[in-house]
Order: sequence, then structure tokens, then C-alpha cells
Amino acid sequence: MSETTPTTKTDRPAKTDQSTEADQPTEADQPANEPDVTTAADATNGDGATHTTAGETDEQVREEWREYDFEGMAKFAVEDLDVHYGDDHALQGVSIEIPENSVTALIGPSGCGKSTFLRSLNRMNDRIKSARVDGSVRIDGQEIYQDGVNLVELRKRVGMVFQSPNPFPKSIRENIAYGPEKHGDIETGPLARLLGRSDAAARDRLVEECLRDAALWEEVNDRLDDNALGLSGGQQQRLCIARCLSVDPEVILMDEPASALDPIATAKIEDLIEQLSEEYTVVIVTHNMQQAARISDQTAVFLTGGELVEYGDTDQVFEDPHSERVEDYITGKFG
Amino acid sequence: MAGATRTPLVRADASRPEAVASLAMAIAVGLIAVGIASLFGLVPIDAAIGGVPTVTALGGLLVVLGAAVIGLGVGSALGYIETEPSPNAGLVATVGFAFVWFVLGGLTASLVLEGGLAWLPAGAVTGGAAFAMTAATREDIGSTLPAGAVAIVVGGTFLTGTIGPVWVWDLGFEQQASMTATFLVPAATIACGLLAGWAAATAYGGFGARGRRMGAYLLIYVNASAIIGVLFLLIAFTAVRGIPGLLTGATVGSGVGPTVSVLGVSVTLPVAVPFVMNGVSLLNDFQGVLPAIVGTVWLVVGAVVLAVPLGVGAAVFLTEYAERGRLTQAVEVATNGLWSTPSIVFGLFGFTFLVPRFGGNKSLLAGMVTLGFMLLPLVLITSREALLAVPDEYRDASAALGVSKWQTIRSVVVPAALPGVVTGTILGVGRIAGETAPILLTMTGGTFVSGDRAADVIGGFAFTSQPPFVTNPELLQATTALPFQLYALITAGVGLGDNVSNPVEFQWATAFVLLLVVLSFYAVGIGARYYFRRRLRHE
Amino acid sequence: MTVALVASLVGFLLASPFTALPVALFLLAAGVGWVRYQGLTARVLTFAMTIATVLILLLITVYITVESIPVIRYETTTVFGVPVPGLRLFTETRWDAVAEPIRYSMVPMIHGTVMVTTIATAVAAPLGVAAALFLSEIAPGAVREVVKPGVEILAGIPSIVYGFIGFTILSPWASEQFRTTGQGSYLFVGIVVGLMALPTVVSVAEDALSSVPESMKSGSLAMGTTDWQTMTSITIPAAFSGVSAAVLLGVGRAIGETMAATVMLRGVPQLTEPLYNVFYGQETLTSLIANNYGNAHGLQMDALFLAGVILFITVLAISIGSQYIEWRMHRKLGGEV
Repeated sequence: MSETTPTTKTDRPAKTDQSTEADQPTEADQPANEPDVTTAADATNGDGATHTTAGETDEQVREEWREYDFEGMAKFAVEDLDVHYGDDHALQGVSIEIPENSVTALIGPSGCGKSTFLRSLNRMNDRIKSARVDGSVRIDGQEIYQDGVNLVELRKRVGMVFQSPNPFPKSIRENIAYGPEKHGDIETGPLARLLGRSDAAARDRLVEECLRDAALWEEVNDRLDDNALGLSGGQQQRLCIARCLSVDPEVILMDEPASALDPIATAKIEDLIEQLSEEYTVVIVTHNMQQAARISDQTAVFLTGGELVEYGDTDQVFEDPHSERVEDYITGKFG
Repeated sequence: MAGATRTPLVRADASRPEAVASLAMAIAVGLIAVGIASLFGLVPIDAAIGGVPTVTALGGLLVVLGAAVIGLGVGSALGYIETEPSPNAGLVATVGFAFVWFVLGGLTASLVLEGGLAWLPAGAVTGGAAFAMTAATREDIGSTLPAGAVAIVVGGTFLTGTIGPVWVWDLGFEQQASMTATFLVPAATIACGLLAGWAAATAYGGFGARGRRMGAYLLIYVNASAIIGVLFLLIAFTAVRGIPGLLTGATVGSGVGPTVSVLGVSVTLPVAVPFVMNGVSLLNDFQGVLPAIVGTVWLVVGAVVLAVPLGVGAAVFLTEYAERGRLTQAVEVATNGLWSTPSIVFGLFGFTFLVPRFGGNKSLLAGMVTLGFMLLPLVLITSREALLAVPDEYRDASAALGVSKWQTIRSVVVPAALPGVVTGTILGVGRIAGETAPILLTMTGGTFVSGDRAADVIGGFAFTSQPPFVTNPELLQATTALPFQLYALITAGVGLGDNVSNPVEFQWATAFVLLLVVLSFYAVGIGARYYFRRRLRHE
Repeated sequence: MTVALVASLVGFLLASPFTALPVALFLLAAGVGWVRYQGLTARVLTFAMTIATVLILLLITVYITVESIPVIRYETTTVFGVPVPGLRLFTETRWDAVAEPIRYSMVPMIHGTVMVTTIATAVAAPLGVAAALFLSEIAPGAVREVVKPGVEILAGIPSIVYGFIGFTILSPWASEQFRTTGQGSYLFVGIVVGLMALPTVVSVAEDALSSVPESMKSGSLAMGTTDWQTMTSITIPAAFSGVSAAVLLGVGRAIGETMAATVMLRGVPQLTEPLYNVFYGQETLTSLIANNYGNAHGLQMDALFLAGVILFITVLAISIGSQYIEWRMHRKLGGEV
């Protein structure tokens, strides 16, 4: 984890495991009418923070924990989303509404389905042959799981940045121009040049704009024709973000974008995400709770079994979670 | 930013144009099938399909296909069909169409103008026109019009009888050769079917990126099914031709077969298949290839005995002991070089190096060693891969228990890699069992060998007081093997008649037996791979 | 033990009848070593086996080259007064081992090999790469499980069987179709050889395509490109060197293919008229050896060895070239060499 990360976000205090622990005695918050709390959980909770629980406590997920009222429009409306990988039930009946132009963080222990959820928002799960998706995902009111959906258009609107930087083995310029060229928005091929309608100038403008937006322009403007694989990890990841911006998406999905980076590069990416949220809807998966607390407006917590347990304003989720399991998780008792 | 194009997220219903496009694709695939069938003479082009002469019918279908393809393109251009065409058809399509039209124009010119270099400018004109046409128009026109036009032009020449069933074009080469309708008509039909089918598939996908994907997928699927089709055809054809010869004189019933003694117990087989149980002699009712089968078996055994220990040992050294460096690199280059060395070169090597050392005659032993050398790189490469695939954790775990390196290799690494080694060896053996060229130069015996001369290697060992102290006349004698037997049968040609009552049947049966032997190695190899993979997953 | 092994090797090279003695000694030493110092013995033994592999390649090179030297000397021509050994092999086109002047020109066979290889490559390269793309990127699981073994079996069908079918079915058919005098055409030999080289291209190209990291492909798909665009713009360019190595290896296979060419061609070493007349098939380097080894001796035999040397060197160069290309690709993708 990036304890050493310089915290750049100032409007929201960074939280560490210890501070939450100190603020809220775990026993006190436990609802009295919770019938399913096991003794094992009680024991560990009572003994203090040095223990790890063997797993999660049993508790009934309540509907109101997942309700979150926000102002403005919902970008995504997900209803009863189930995803199976073969016999594995990766997501169970997830319903969530994601607001526009904000940062939504998805947190949870590994294997809880948060990446699966993210990938079902732009149908990247279609790549996995054994995956089966039931339920409904609407973007701006339009169902994306129905016949006749144009995947090209969907993925243009919903861009994605992956866990480890994956630039194409091409030049920096070609990396940025790749999407628009493939979608026919920019033509620079030999045929276009022959017909005298090459958009090289427009392409270069676009490349600069995207790189500036991704805070990379200053570092690479003198070597746009170099192979992108020669950049450092952090630069590669920002290049991937710039590449994602080049097709003018409405939503940017990020799957642990900083997990493979060092603290300084992480800080840059986090700054960038904050800027992006003014113009784009950002949904970010992270296993780093401090990161989620720093950068997100609202947080959804997935726990084992692919369940959405709690969803709400980030401050509320981190400071005053409804669910005991969520509290255990964010205080570091398991996960 | 560049978000100039906004297309609806959900595509509108477009069932009617899609129906036209799929109909066109179906016609195209059908035409390709008919074309292939008539290439093989299954649909003679001078006959008639349903009362209509074949050539005319093909021509008619081609014209319909071309018209449908053009209709799709024009319909899209005029806005009747909702599509997402790119600004142009792309470089590959442009160059492709230009080439097709260059050939078409050039051929027509040289046919009409009879010789000279007139075909060159003519081809350049049509090719250039197609290039300009494809490049300058939007994709929906650019990728359908040239393709449809080719189909219509070719179909038109068939329809009008310009090219009829008896059409012949003398190419005017010094060594005489002509293009005949029996070849040209099916070939042109297949080519037009592919071209127009591609265009129709593009239209089916609504042009643009999705359309090109459809077009490319159509071609790739056709290619894959063609490869599998050829494989199936080869095996089925050999089987159909070979089984009658194989079963000549075959009888089933208790006590009809030859008596086989295993470990002193004599068993009389209940089936008799003379073709694989007899040799060739005047007294036999039915002639067979037993000596060749026995020879092949001994060859394979010899090669395996030589190559497998050598290959596995070398692989163990390379992966477990050797540092990555000059030596491993040199060995890798050498192995890959050996792998791609032509088999006939191995034969030459055996001829000049091994034969003089094994008594100066072509011999079974020389053949074994030559094939062993051929098998070696295959075994080495597959064993190396299998050994490298063994996770380092196994080695570390074993080493952490204080086990010596060699013990680790012997009891952990090699057993874990065994499935890969076994599978690779079996597949390699399948390959060398069918090799002819090397044994041609090292081991050739007669074409027809009598049954009692089947090599008996085990009984042949004898110790002598003379150097080299061990002799085995059987090993040093030339014998025969299935692949060589087949080669000899082909080259013997007419002379076969004296020995075998039905030489053609005998040849095909030999080919079939050879195929059976080799393919059973492959079946075992592929089966073993599946078995091991299954077991690995369950554990 | 080592001494015994080297001695037996030397004995073998000298074709001495006493070879068995050091062999036995070596086996004895190895046996004793195995019992007493198993680890060390294993190491030495496996090392010896490794060396043996390299040694075989060296032996092949040396022996066939030595055999071919007399004919190179025989075909010496003088250029500007300087005798150049072997030059006449390539400047004349006459091969005649019987009638004077006796000449062993390699030109007709090289022409034949080039023709066959060109046609075979034209068949095997596009089809093979398309099939590799199908197997690694497109085919659904079940189809893949059928097609992949199918391609392997295609590699397993013995070349003599291909040749036999070509000889009995294809050649007469082609002769009738194209109204040629006699049977055997480079066109159909090329197609058959291409079919035989196809599996090599498919399997090597498929390895190269699958070695492109999945994250690159997903990255492209997430941009909203179709999978076909991903293949043509990301996967194939990234795997380009691997795919070209596959094609090169296929070419190598096609050059060295012997039996199909031998039984389907005419076996008359001369050029076709005109040179691009693919409807006639005369002789390739490989078929020359297979057709003539039986009745050749002296200089003619040496000429066959020369054909072998040419084949060997060409194919070895192709093999090394393709390995270099593959090595570069792995380095570029940052994977293990």
C-alpha cells in the first residue's frame, strides 16, 4: 500500500487504518438487532485490532445500505446484475446507480467481483467465453445488454484503463491516434495521403490535446515518434489514459490503475483522476482504501461472493459504515 | 476532441438488406462449392444442371450474385440501407481490386489481340480504373461495385457462350500447354465467388469496421474449412481406394489366421488379412507387405532407442545444468538447424558416413541411425519445452529439502516433464515413420520381399571373436519399409503386373497401410496429450 | 570414461573394426560411474549427449561437403585468367552425365526448386497465416479442438503418400486439363508441397500470435475497435517477426521436400521453356538426388552431394535467419528469450 504517497487531495482528509480504528470502537456501532453475528467475529472485535478474522462475519445485507441519493443525472443504472463464470457466481444481484461527472470508487477484497462489475459496464466480459451475464445495465437510459447493441459505439463512450499499463508497441503518436483512426474520424493512411485528404494536422492537434489532458505532454513532446514501450511505468499509464481520452468518451473505467506504479507516479495519476472527473464520469476499482478515500466522491463496497454490501458518499462509507462487515474490511480486519 | 461521428448505440432493425446480403453470401458459397466439385469432375461442365448447361447456369448465378452485390452497395449509397461505411474501402481492398482488374483486363486483351505486349497497357487501364474507382468512392460503393462487376463480366462471358465447355486457349509456350474451359470455368467461378462473397459479407456487416470484420471472417472461415476438408478428403480417398486391396483374401473365422507364438504359447489368430501377414512369393495366393511393416517397426524402434536417450539427456543438460550462454545458444541453433535440414540431406549423410561404417552395404542399422539423427532434434526440442514448463517452485521445493541436484532432476523434474516428452516423441516418431528419402539412400531393399525374409533382429545377434565382436547380419542387411515400398511401387510402374494380380489395388493398399501406421502414431500422441492435460486439470 | 568415449568416436570415424572395444570400455566406465557417483556421471553423460547434437550437425556439414569437392573442381572455369572452381556449375545450364561434354550444371535444378518453392510459399503463407489467426484469435473452443489436431495430422501424412496421390490422381488430371505433353508440372508439385509446408507455417505462426500479451489486445478492444481491427493493427504487427519466421520455416520445408517432387516431376534436368512455364515440371535439387543416387558413381555422385550441399546451406541459412527474427521479436515484446 502507498502509505508514503504524498497526499495531494486536500478537501478530504486522508484516512489510515489506525485513525478509523481509533475513531470508532467497533463494538459500539454494532446494531443490536443483528441476529447473524458470529461469536468468532465478536471475539476478534473484542480483542482489538491485532487480530485478523478468519473471514467475514455473517450478516444480512440491507437494502438501505446500498441506497444512495445524489443530485444530478445517473450515468449508469444497473439492476440485478448477475455474472457467472462457468459454475462460479461472480456477481450476485448488483443494483447501483452511478452519478455523472464524479468519481465512483469500487473497493473490496480480491475476488469479490469488483473488476467483473467494472468490465460488465463496457461489456469487456464478452471476451471471456465462459462468462454469462444476466440483469440490466443502462447507460443514459439505454440498455447495453440487448440485441443490436453496437459494441464499437459502447466502448467509444465507455473507455477503459487497465491494471498494468498496456500501450501498443507503436510510437506515442500512433498510440494516441489509434482509436480515432480505427473509428474513421482521422485518416492518415497512404490512401488518404494519395487522395490529399490526410488529416495529419488534426491528428497532431488531437495528440497534443490528449497528452496535455493526461499531464504527459511536457514529458514526451519531443519524442512523440519513440516507441511507447520505452516510457516509464507511470508515463505508460498516463499514455493509456490519454489514449482513452482520444475517442472522447463519456465514462472512463479504471481497473486499479495505480497498482503497478510507484508512489510518485500514483500521486500523478490520482491528481489526473480528480481533474478528469470535472468532465467525465470516472469509475475506479482499487484495493487501496486510502486511495479510494482520497479521490472518490462515492464508494461502493463489494465483499466476498460478489455482493454489493454498501454504497454511499465516500465520507459516510469510510467514517460511519452501516455494515459491520464493511467496517471490518475498511479497518483492516480482513481482506 | 475527435468525436465527430456519433452513431446510435443500438442499431436499428435492418432485416431486409441483411436478408439480401445473406442470400448473396449463400450464392457465393454455393458457387465456390460447385466450382470445387467441377474441378474434381463431380459436376462435369459440359453436362447440364436441371436442363440448363452447367456453364450457362454458373454464368447466370454469377450475374445474379454480382447484381445483388452492386445492389447492396448502391442501396447503401442512396441511403435505402442503413450502414456505417468508411470514407473509402481501404488500401488492401483497393490494391486487391486493382490487381484483379489488371489480370482480367490483361487476359482479355491478350486473348482478343492475340499476342504482343498489348495486354500490358490494357491491364494497366482496367487495373488503374478499378484502383481509382475503389479509392475515390465511399466504402459502400468502392468495395461492392468492382467486385460485383467482376462477377457480372465473368458470368456474362459464360452466359453468352464466349467461353463454352469446349473453349481452349493455347498459351503458345515452347513446351506446349493450353488453358481449357474445364479448368478455367470452375477456377474463375471460385475466384468470383470468393470476391463477391467477401463484398456481400462486408455489406452484411453494414460496411465500416464491422463490415470489414464480417468480410475477413468469411474468408478465414472458408480457409479453415478448406484445410480441414482437404485433410478429410485425403484420408477418405486413400481409405476408399486402399481398403479393397487391404482386404483382398481376408477371412474371419477361428483358426484361419497364421499362428503366432508369444512366450512359447501359440495362438492362432481368428482373422487372416493376407496383405499385412504375407510377403510376396510365387506360392502365395495373396501377396502382402509384411516385410515392409516389420522393417518399419524395426526402423522406428532403432531410431527411438538412439534418439530418445540422447535427446532427453541433452535437454536435461541444457535446462538443468548449463548456464545460459554461448553453449546453449550454439546447441539451440544447431538443433533448429537439424530440425529443418531436408530429409534427403540426412540420407546423403547416412550414405557417405554410416553405410561405409556398417559393412559397406545399405543396411537396416544405417537406416535406423539416420532416422535416429532425424528424430533427435524433434525429441530435443519437445523435451526442452516440457522441461522448461516445469515450474521452478518444484526444483526449489526439492532443493530446500536438501535433495541433491541430480536426485531432484530424477525424481521431480523429469517425471513432471514426462507427459510432454512422451507426446513429443510419439509425434516425432509418426513423422519419421513416414520418411522415405533418408532410407532411400541408406537401407533400400528389393521391391517385393518374401515373407520369410522379414527382418528378425533379435534372433540375429551373434558374438564373434573377431572385432567388432558383436555381429548381427540382420541389422547389416538391407530390408524394406513401408514408405520405401510405396516409392518402389510407384517407380516400378508397369512392371508390377508380373508379381501382383492387381497392381493398382496393391499400391493403394500399401499407401493406406502406411497412412494407418503413421496416423495411429499421431492418434496415440494427440490422445496422450489430451489424457495428460485432463489429468493435470483434475489434480 | 571420457577417454573411452572419445576413443570410440575416433574409432568410429576411422571406420575401425576395433571400435567396439572403446565402446565397451565407455559403457563399463559409465556403469561404474553410475553406481558410485550418480550425480556427476549423469552430468557428464548429459553433457556428452548435448555435444553429440552439435557434433552431428558438424559431421553432416563436413561429410557432404567433402564428397562434393571433386565436382566443384571439375566444373572450374577461368574468369580473366583466374580459375574459379565451381563457377561453371552456375553459368551453364547443361546437365548430362552420359554424353560428351559431360556437365553437371545446377541451374536447371535450382530453377526447379525456386519454382516449386515460390508456388508452395504462395499457397502456404497466406493460408497458413490465416489459419493461424483463426486458431489463435477467432475459433471458438470446440472448433479449435477439432482444427488444431487436424492441422497436426496434415503434417503427419507421409510425403510419399502426398506424392502417390499427386502422381496417380493430380498429374494425369493436370496433364489432361492443360493439354501438356507428358505428366508432371511445377504448378501442382508446388501446390502439394505448399500443402505439406502449411502445418509448419500454421503452428509457428500460431505460437507467435498467441505470445502477444492479452492486455494489448484488451487495450485495443476497450478502445472500441472490432476484433478484426485489433488483429490487423495490434496482434499481427506485434507478432510480425514471429509470423515471418513461420513463413521462412515453411519455405525451408518446401525447399527440402523430396518425395512428392521426386515422384511427380519428370526427372529430366533441364529448364522449362519459357522459364515461367509452370505447367511442366523437370527436376528439383531434392528430386535429382532421389532419382539418380541408384545409378550414379564418381563425379555424378559427387554432383548429387553438391546438390545436397546447396540445399543444406540454404535451409540452414533460413533456419538461422528465422531464429534471429524470433529472438528479436521476443526481445521487443520484453518477454523471455
